[in-house]
Amino acid sequence: MPDWEALVGEQFAAISLEPEERNEVIAELAGHLEETFEQLCRQGFSEEAAVARALSEVKSWRSLRGQIQIARKKEDGMTDRVKQVWLPGFLTLFLSMMLLMVIQFFGPKPVIVSTSGWRMTAPVAVIYVPWLLSLLLIGAMGAYLAGRAGASPRAALLSTVFPVLPYSVFFVIWIPVSLILDDHISHNTMPSALLMGLVAWVVLPGVALLAGGLPVQIVRSRHAASA
Amino acid sequence: MIAPGIKRGTAELAVLSVLEDGPLHGYEMARRIEEQTLGSLRFTLASLYPLLYRLEKRGWVRGAWETSGTGRRRRCYRLTTEGKKKIAPIRREWAELFRALKRLTKVSHA
Repeated sequence: MPDWEALVGEQFAAISLEPEERNEVIAELAGHLEETFEQLCRQGFSEEAAVARALSEVKSWRSLRGQIQIARKKEDGMTDRVKQVWLPGFLTLFLSMMLLMVIQFFGPKPVIVSTSGWRMTAPVAVIYVPWLLSLLLIGAMGAYLAGRAGASPRAALLSTVFPVLPYSVFFVIWIPVSLILDDHISHNTMPSALLMGLVAWVVLPGVALLAGGLPVQIVRSRHAASA
Repeated sequence: MIAPGIKRGTAELAVLSVLEDGPLHGYEMARRIEEQTLGSLRFTLASLYPLLYRLEKRGWVRGAWETSGTGRRRRCYRLTTEGKKKIAPIRREWAELFRALKRLTKVSHA
């Protein structure tokens, strides 16, 4: 029986992979050839014929080497989930935060809405209108990037609203906590303040993101259906 | 026998489907596919491993070295959660393609 590892190793000496990874590939392919050879011997082939037949599984070692090299390259180690959800999601989150910061420093004054109408008594919601408008574009970008990476409608939706998720998590945790603490520390201002915050930082931005992202999703799905 | 060009397109589904029953190493995977398709689909070493590595890079399958009862070390592949989720949409696509071809060419099951 030939030394299969040596045989495959000779063919894969020039493959551009880390030594450890190359050895793994060689061991795996050699194992496959060895099992093929043993099976052929069990079927009654002579050793020589079995070796020739096992080796005929590879028409071109050069081509196989190239294909494996491409397939195992580490540079694109991103999974579909990363490309479809996390990458567009974090990009839109980052952009929305940067824009908010820029608008807070250099933009027009925010609109301040109070639960008691235009009398400015607490609690109030601070609404940055230019930021909300910019979220239309950011939502569209999230949906586009997710769709381009082949995301499902649900994953694309998640990427679209990703920038408001941190705020949502905050409110989901803090609202029940405030309801518990409210009786002890204040005069019923916390739940209403949180409600205002929820509207200003989750509901309105979420609506803006969806208003930008949903048309992109609809266009993409129509385009895909007609293709 | 099915022409290589057509086989190439079905390869992902074949591998994912055969792994649905449980983890397998490459040789066993090729053998099962050949058996279950009555020899219509046959994977050689050259066609199987580049595909397996691509699927692994996408995160649809995960390979790990295991030692068998006979002491032989083999790399066994199993479906990841992501891979399991991919099977149904790929099956739907193929079913749709077969229906379309059937309508177009009037090819029907024997």
